Amino acid sequence: MTAYVEECRQEWKRLGVPDLLAEEMATELESDLAEAQADGVSAAELLGESDPRRFAANWAGERGLVREPAPPKRRRIWPWIVVALFLVLFATWTALQTAGHGSATRGRPVEVTPSRRVSVPNVIGMKACKALRTVAHTVDDWRIAGHPHGSTCDEIVVSQSPVGHVIRRDGHPVIVTLRVGRS
Amino acid sequence: MLRGVLDLCLLAVVVDEPAYGYEMTRRLRERGLSTVGEGSIYPLLGRLEREGLVATHREASDGGPPRKYYSASPSGRRALSEGVRAWRDVRGEVDSVLATIEAEVA
Repeated sequence: MTAYVEECRQEWKRLGVPDLLAEEMATELESDLAEAQADGVSAAELLGESDPRRFAANWAGERGLVREPAPPKRRRIWPWIVVALFLVLFATWTALQTAGHGSATRGRPVEVTPSRRVSVPNVIGMKACKALRTVAHTVDDWRIAGHPHGSTCDEIVVSQSPVGHVIRRDGHPVIVTLRVGRS
Repeated sequence: MLRGVLDLCLLAVVVDEPAYGYEMTRRLRERGLSTVGEGSIYPLLGRLEREGLVATHREASDGGPPRKYYSASPSGRRALSEGVRAWRDVRGEVDSVLATIEAEVA
């Protein structure tokens, strides 16, 4: 008997029957079932239904305690379009902000070598050793073309590359190549 | 078979004196209706209550929780009166049809 009523309770709860009304029906049923049992009347005979959940649903339905499912509403689409558009714009703006900010604050720093102006001296006609000292003060590196190891300080610079003038180098070392020869 | 007239029977057993659910079943049995049939009286009582054909109140019971008593409301009494008249008309017509069949079988 109790199990039957308990099943009914669960069904009423599932159907959304208000608690107080469900309890009222459960109490009524429990009392009647107990009295019927005392009279030798079975639950099936009294209720005419062996399935407690079907019985409970039927009773609640007849009392009008089961909420009818709401009819499907016509959905308006335009508010969703506005929301979607807003989200896309927001996501784009956020991505741009992150990219711009991230390049300045995150990731591997990029070394930027500022462009610089280098004045390459014209050392053509100078003795080799003096020419090297001159260019060494102004350029990053130098080379002696030909046979450098056989050259001597007395030899004269006969050509140079680049030629003496003001040049601009963006991040690259300025290397002067001198060609020397005997005067 | 009883589905259409059981609500009339329920109103009939509480028109003079209120009764709770099982007591109504007992009264029906005492008046000769021993088989209520599938579905029992409770869903019917629920519908009668929803339609305002029965009024309810609670009374203390011996040693148990208060019992819910049903009684015929004024509109229930009117519905019972009209229902009994309609039932008698239908019963007469049905009896006529069944009597013909019975005569042929006999």
